[in-house]
Amino acid sequence: MNSTEQQIEIINSIIKSTKENLKPLSVNFIFWGVLIIAMSLFNYAFPSVFQSAQYSGLLFWTVLPLIGFILNIYYNIKIRKKAGYETYLSRVIKIIWGVFNLSWIYIIALSYTLKSFHPIPPILFLLGIILIITGLIIKFKPITLGGIFLTIFTFYLNFNPGINLFLVNVIGLSFGVLLPGLSLFYSKSDNKSDG
Amino acid sequence: MDKILFNPIRLKIMSSLINNSECDFNYLKKITESTQGNLSIQLKKLKEEKYIHIKKKFSDNYPKTSCSITKKGKIKFEEFFRNLITLKENG
Repeated sequence: MNSTEQQIEIINSIIKSTKENLKPLSVNFIFWGVLIIAMSLFNYAFPSVFQSAQYSGLLFWTVLPLIGFILNIYYNIKIRKKAGYETYLSRVIKIIWGVFNLSWIYIIALSYTLKSFHPIPPILFLLGIILIITGLIIKFKPITLGGIFLTIFTFYLNFNPGINLFLVNVIGLSFGVLLPGLSLFYSKSDNKSDG
Repeated sequence: MDKILFNPIRLKIMSSLINNSECDFNYLKKITESTQGNLSIQLKKLKEEKYIHIKKKFSDNYPKTSCSITKKGKIKFEEFFRNLITLKENG
């Protein structure tokens, strides 16, 4: 039978052994930042490609992100299997981003129904809010600041409707997602145990 | 004191599950430093007492077991921990 001290020590050592690994989250940010920036630049540089066929834009902006989602889900499942456990923090982040993905699908579907409705500003606004929440939860300032930047940036867009929205995407994703993602990836505190 | 949590393997399992939303069998085997058979017995005991949920599924043609703590398990663990602290403080 264990003594009281030994039992407290067992509990403490097991709880301390759980590490919150934030590297996979940063990989997700970098992946989506690079993908969407590359797609926006392509759309901006070669607009004729999207004018040649009726549904080329729709296919481009749904098929590629869908492939991205599948690759992203596969990567996250692999990481989860390797770790052998899921912390409450990881679960909360997974739920938040799952809700964002559903909202993204909703906004895209709405933009194809209402022709005058462009999906980029509301998606960036929503992304900004989700980034602020994520940054505050994981206590990582660059992500919170990226979210604040995106929120202010989308507010500014309302007063400057003439800006090319693909360039808006490039600026928004670079400062809101890619740079905070790289900052998290190279951060020394990649293993936090406050899960 | 809760006799179920007096066993060190069961205490390690519960300590891990209180901190995580889900843990795999292999991870629990590693942190409890127990054999597969012993771990299975302790998990079964915790499940019978309704302290944990056990989920079994197939992944890459292999059976995979994952566990999570129940509401009752959480309450019992917190009670047990409070009692340990009280005992320690009273010397």
